[in-house]
Amino acid sequence: MTINAADAAVHNAASRRSIWSRAWENHAPGYLFLLPWLIGFIGLTVGPIISSFYLSFTNFDLLTPARWVGLENYQRMFTNDRNFAAAMRVTFTFVLFSVPLKLAFALLVAILLNRGMKGLPLYRALFYLPSLLGASVAIAILWRQIFAGDGLVNQFLANFGIIGPSWISNPNYSLWTLIILSVWQFGSPMIIFLAGLRQIPQDMYEAASLDGAGKWRQFWKITVPLLTPVIFFNAIIQTINSFQSFTPAFIISNGTGSPINSTLFYALYLYNEAFSFFRMGYASALAWFLLFLIACFTAFSFLTSKYWVHYDD
Amino acid sequence: MRKRVFSVLAHIVLISASILMLYPLLWLLAASFKPDNQIFNTGIWPTADWSLDAYFRGWNAMRVSFSVFFMNSFVIAILSIIGNLFACSMAAYAFARMEFKFKNFWFAMMLMTLMLPSQVTIIPQYVLFRDLGWINTILPLVVPKFLAVDAFFIFLMVQFFRGIPRELDEAARMDGAGPWRIYWKIMLPLSTPVLVTAAIFTFIWTWDDFFGPLIFLNRMQDYTVTLGLRTFVDSTGESDFGGLFAMSVLSIVPIFLFFLIFQRFLIEGIATTGMKR
Repeated sequence: MTINAADAAVHNAASRRSIWSRAWENHAPGYLFLLPWLIGFIGLTVGPIISSFYLSFTNFDLLTPARWVGLENYQRMFTNDRNFAAAMRVTFTFVLFSVPLKLAFALLVAILLNRGMKGLPLYRALFYLPSLLGASVAIAILWRQIFAGDGLVNQFLANFGIIGPSWISNPNYSLWTLIILSVWQFGSPMIIFLAGLRQIPQDMYEAASLDGAGKWRQFWKITVPLLTPVIFFNAIIQTINSFQSFTPAFIISNGTGSPINSTLFYALYLYNEAFSFFRMGYASALAWFLLFLIACFTAFSFLTSKYWVHYDD
Repeated sequence: MRKRVFSVLAHIVLISASILMLYPLLWLLAASFKPDNQIFNTGIWPTADWSLDAYFRGWNAMRVSFSVFFMNSFVIAILSIIGNLFACSMAAYAFARMEFKFKNFWFAMMLMTLMLPSQVTIIPQYVLFRDLGWINTILPLVVPKFLAVDAFFIFLMVQFFRGIPRELDEAARMDGAGPWRIYWKIMLPLSTPVLVTAAIFTFIWTWDDFFGPLIFLNRMQDYTVTLGLRTFVDSTGESDFGGLFAMSVLSIVPIFLFFLIFQRFLIEGIATTGMKR
């Protein structure tokens, strides 16, 4: 009896060890490969997310320890901060106009290019170039000169006897110059549209035209419905990026969002609060509200998508 | 006949659109070769004398010359490429080919970081890097790449790895190859297209990056090209347009060259995965 029990104990220990060692053998290699990402994910993403959530309830100036203030930052955002209101207005105007215009251009050009015409690679490259260079400081500097009082646009208008304003320094127009800059970069959604258009089977058009459907009808009844997944994807990516637009506004307004806050993009305002005025707590609250906005937008898009996005199944 | 007319019309629309798209860039290029007094009051092309004056003037206009800025940008870009390729491909290999506990959970987490706005993490990251004494070094810009923070590339590589026939690595396993050997000798060599795409986009994005350097680099000798250019605008005010335009042109030359050489990869990369921007 006792011998048997001891045997069993030894046996159990051995099998327990083998469970552990088997687990180690099965899972460790995967985790070793995942390790750099895991460290980055925990140290540079999850940790900072938690800490920024905490900071959003504090006053923190980097030098003295963070001081708990409860909901004060959020209260100030919604009730007592004209710059926040301006930043919201500017950002929403920007998203609302730049994204649909950009996508419309992208789709239009993609359809023209999808006709299997000569010179497709060249056109595609030319239209894509501005997107590629778009985020650079050089392009923002260029834009500033194009829309300056004596810039290209006004030189062009002068040919028709029109004396244009200084677009960049006029609060009525400055945001629109940035919207135009964004639309100018329609290249990358265009390329995604082109790839999507290529997936549409040609015989659907042939069948439709046999049934007497004109081009316009084919566009609305075949192209658009079959392209909705791509439209959906482009719209989400472009909107999320537009919410975070920073560099052009920073360069064009010298980092201030001037004139009269007309180019005070949300990301620019957040940057200034954090790194010019060192109101890190308030800036964290701004960041969390941005996250909330983007999450709401994404959730809303996915929820409504089942009514207008068609997946072929 | 109708088809012919339509195609001519389409070409006309496309050609005019291309001109409209490219005119600002051509104007910038031309302006950088003009004498200063001609930049704004003549047509696009330099009338009489082309000159490289603006380039020499701009290159040395500031306390620190542009050669330093270019050097800094190149070092950061190259280290970022190495980091991204290594760390992202390792994670992607784990997600695509290995079995381990909570794999799906981690994969979902990775996908969620794709949506996360960088503004949410930047302030605590700044505090962390400051406590580590990394401000005014390139570490905050480079180390995250070695920790696969650009999850986008992981996603890209997972998609690609899944397309590689499983028989290949299973055969290697039969022959006694361990995971590291399979990753290094089979998966990576077969993944050149996706690695090249990731390298190109890493280069372009780090080269263009303005936000990161703006936050982490405060001494002029550490500046990247983008920061140097921005300082140029501020320090010379609006007086040296020639120099400013010349340096603007130079700052986009590396991107432009990449574009010319790797156009096919870039466009395929965009088309198949839907890159940002």
